[in-house]
Amino acid sequence: MPESEIELRDVRKVYYKDRIDIPVLEGLNLSVPAGEFAVLMGPSGSGKSTLLHLIGGLDSPTSGSIRVADSNLEQMNERELTAWRSRNVGFIFQMYHLVPVLTAAQNVELPLLLFRMPSSERRKRVATALGVVGLGDRMDHRPNQLSGGQEQRVAIARAIVTDPRMILADEPTGDLDAKTSEEILNLLNTLNTEFGKTILMVTHDPRAASHGQRLLHLDKGVLERDERTPARAPAAVS
Amino acid sequence: MTITYVLMQNLRRNPLRAVLTATAFALPMAVFVAAISLVVLLAKVSIASQKELRLGVRHKVSLINMVPEGMRRKIEELDPDHDLLRAVCGMRWFGGKVPGTQNTLTSLAADADTFPIVYSDLGLTEKETAKWHSDRLACVAGSAPVEQYGWKVGDRITLESTVPPYMSLEFHLVKVLTAAERGNVFYFRRDYLEEALKSANVPSNRVNIFWVKCASAQGLHDLQNRIDAAFANTPDETKSEDENAFMANFTQASGNIPGLMQAMAVVVVFIVALVAGNTMMMSFRERSRELATFKAIGFQSGRIFAIVLAESALLALLGALAGVIPTALVLTYFPVKNLRMGPISSFDVSPIAIAVSLIIALLVGLAAGLWPAYQALRLRTVDALRKVA
Repeated sequence: MPESEIELRDVRKVYYKDRIDIPVLEGLNLSVPAGEFAVLMGPSGSGKSTLLHLIGGLDSPTSGSIRVADSNLEQMNERELTAWRSRNVGFIFQMYHLVPVLTAAQNVELPLLLFRMPSSERRKRVATALGVVGLGDRMDHRPNQLSGGQEQRVAIARAIVTDPRMILADEPTGDLDAKTSEEILNLLNTLNTEFGKTILMVTHDPRAASHGQRLLHLDKGVLERDERTPARAPAAVS
Repeated sequence: MTITYVLMQNLRRNPLRAVLTATAFALPMAVFVAAISLVVLLAKVSIASQKELRLGVRHKVSLINMVPEGMRRKIEELDPDHDLLRAVCGMRWFGGKVPGTQNTLTSLAADADTFPIVYSDLGLTEKETAKWHSDRLACVAGSAPVEQYGWKVGDRITLESTVPPYMSLEFHLVKVLTAAERGNVFYFRRDYLEEALKSANVPSNRVNIFWVKCASAQGLHDLQNRIDAAFANTPDETKSEDENAFMANFTQASGNIPGLMQAMAVVVVFIVALVAGNTMMMSFRERSRELATFKAIGFQSGRIFAIVLAESALLALLGALAGVIPTALVLTYFPVKNLRMGPISSFDVSPIAIAVSLIIALLVGLAAGLWPAYQALRLRTVDALRKVA
């Protein structure tokens, strides 16, 4: 049994709004081994994105423990979480969130500005990341010169350029057509199988979900089903 | 790529808005740098006046009320050993203008014997002083009328008085004064004026002011008290003040111009800060998700705060440079002439004014960016990202 990359124990998350407690996650337990491609599904408001944000260190649980990439997130302050994210997590969002005035290469280079690194090394890493996503020939294009699928590929390159241990994707194909979605999902599969990245993806799309090795169904803050899809084996983690 | 590069590129995000905001800085800063230059020049005049240790003695009521020229001897007798006092020079307003023109020069008739001593700072050479003493028609003039009317040393100049009896006199120019704070003056010999007044049967032997050159700052203060005390309860009570105070009154005779400029500058800067603050807030709101993404990929909140603040400061600084540099170039190559603010005739841009303007623009830019930057600092990544959904 591979070591758990993500380990949640009795995690509760309650939002407090207008003097009312709004429970989003109710005593969630979850273990995701390193190198697994897990998919989170569930209706709107079921707590999928909240769970993704907790695992990515963007939010803190109301109670319970979250251990991700050998770190106990609930014990870390915001500054430590931010530094931890830069080393361990690559985020992919539905709307890409690229900086429109920067080129594809410059967008991918952004996370590397946080590391002490010679510019030649940065350029090398950017070229590699863009090569992996198949945009080696679009390095100098600005986001408005790229298609939606290409923009998402740039966002994926930005997510992997620091060589993080895991990739958290929130509806990465939600804004794309079926063909482009398939390309993006195949790319995520490649990152999982060839580069050993642990991937946790939120999606509403059953076709997208079929690309994962494990389906986690959330409803009303509770993990209702945890299914394995035997079609793909987990990536070997070195 | 560096963060500075990212900042510079961000200014291209909405070019029209960036240009309009920069212009909102450029135009007031162009006016501001000119206004500050004038204030700096006035301060220079003030410092120069203090250094020269001259005490102005005039009628207590006003400068227009003339005092008898015999008062000079009485002032000199207050310090017979000349411990405190170097020389006394009586001056009478002539208010001359070049025939056919409208501009009245700051033209004064001065006591011939003591003028070179009391106004030693004008830098009359021995030869020029000798000419001043030997030629009753001698005059010295500031650079403004000299340039305006094309005069040269040795030229014969005719001025018409703008005060009764409106006489016309001819002069010989012996020196051109180059100092900006003396740019608009015209001095000539009072004995020449007195003769002309006698010829015109006008009662004379009166002056508007005595300038007393003092030996020390303490001496100036002592003499000020002694002179006013000596003429107290006489028909010609005096008011003595140092040249700095006199100039301040004179330059502000038509209103507190530096004060007015400062008030205007404060209002303009405040308005610019509001405009820039609003722009920066709009920019921040549009980019809150992008900034949240920055945080998600590992940018610390402090760094995001600095980025938003630096962007605002950069925009302000670029705008200010766009206003200040052309103003400085224009005023350097085409200095303002015929200003006629007391003895000051012209001014150009002072490096101090440029520095002050840029610092103020920077501070306004930082102030304008402070609230958006604070909002960025407090931005909850999760909340900003949820807006997408």
